[in-house]
Amino acid sequence: MLRNSNDTLNGKRIVFSEATYYKIIKILAELKNRLQAQATIFADMNGYPIAYDLKVEDVDIIELTALAAGTFSATSEMAKLIKEKNRFRFIYHEGESRNIYMCHVSKEYLIIVLFDKSVAMGMVRILTHNTVEKLQKILDELSLEYEKTSQFLDVEFKSLLGKELDKYFGLK
Amino acid sequence: MHIDYFRKEIQFKIVYYGPGLGGKTTNLEYLHANLNPDIRGELVSLKTKDERTLYFDFLQLKLGKIKNKIPRFHLYTIPGQIHYSYSRQIILRGADAVVFVADSQPVRMDENLETLADLEKKLILHKYSLDNFPWVLQYNKRDLADSMSIETMQSKLNFLNVPYHQAVAVNGKGVFETLRTAIELLINKI
Repeated sequence: MLRNSNDTLNGKRIVFSEATYYKIIKILAELKNRLQAQATIFADMNGYPIAYDLKVEDVDIIELTALAAGTFSATSEMAKLIKEKNRFRFIYHEGESRNIYMCHVSKEYLIIVLFDKSVAMGMVRILTHNTVEKLQKILDELSLEYEKTSQFLDVEFKSLLGKELDKYFGLK
Repeated sequence: MHIDYFRKEIQFKIVYYGPGLGGKTTNLEYLHANLNPDIRGELVSLKTKDERTLYFDFLQLKLGKIKNKIPRFHLYTIPGQIHYSYSRQIILRGADAVVFVADSQPVRMDENLETLADLEKKLILHKYSLDNFPWVLQYNKRDLADSMSIETMQSKLNFLNVPYHQAVAVNGKGVFETLRTAIELLINKI
C-alpha cells in the first residue's frame, strides 16, 4: 500500500511504501528523542515536508519547511560562487532559545532539526549525521516508479474541489 | 505536487511570476486579508527594507476534506528584480502552475516581455516550456488611466492563447478569479 510520494524529474515519481514511510518516521523519532529535539523533519527541496516527528505545537511545519528549502537552495548557490566543489554540509541558525540545524540527505532531500539551546551543537551534528546515513540507505533502496495520480484525484474529487473553491472565493 | 498518503493530503505549488512592482505580492496580500482564516495560513514575506520582495512570499491554503482527502495550495511569489534570477529558478522548482502578473502600464511592457522570456527559460531548465505548462495571465493595474488596451496586451503577451484575467489586485478585482483559473488548469493537467 502506498503511503507517501513526491515528485521528481522527468514525470517519474519516487514512491515511499508504507513500510518505508514508517522506517523514516522511526528514524526521525529516534533522533528527536536522543537530542530532546522539538522537531525533526524530513523534507524535499521543493519545500514539502514528507515525514516529521514533533514535540511542539506552536510551529507551522509547512511554512518552516518552505523557508528551509529556499534557504538551502540559496546557500548551495553561494557555495558555487565561492568555487566550493560541493554544497555546504549544513546550515545552522542559533536563536536565543531555539536553534535550527539543517543538512542535505541527498540532492533532493534535507533534514531539519529544531532544538533547544540546552542541547550541545556537537551532539546535534554527530547524531544528525548518523541519521542522514540511515536515511540515505533508505533512499538508495527506493525504486522509481510511475504512479497514476488520477487514481488519487478522480473526476468527482476535481468537481467537488471546484465547488469548494467557489464557495470560499465567493465566485459563481 | 506532493501526495501525503499518510495524512491524506494533496499539496500543490502555484508560483506568481512577473516583473518587479507588478502586483504579485499584492495578490497574496489580498488573498490573505480576504480569505476565511480557517483555510489560510499566515503570509510569510521576505522583504527588503524598501518593501520589495527579497526572496519570496508564501501563503498556504488548506481546504476541508473532499472525499476524505485534504487539498492544500502553496502560493509563492518570485522576486521581481532581474538580479534575483537564481532565486526565481529555485522557487519555480516543483511548481504545478504559474500565474503571470503583467503590469498594464505602457512603460512596463518591456519588463513584462523580458520576464515572460525569463519564465520560459526557467521552465526549460525544469524540462517544461510555456506551451506545455499550466499558466494563466493576469493583466494587473487595469484602473490606471494610462493602462494599455487589452487587445494590445493580448497581442504582445498572450501568443499562446492561455486564459487571462483583468485585475486591480490592490482592491481585489480579478484576484480570486485568477487563482481559481490557475487551480483549474493544474487539476485538469493531472
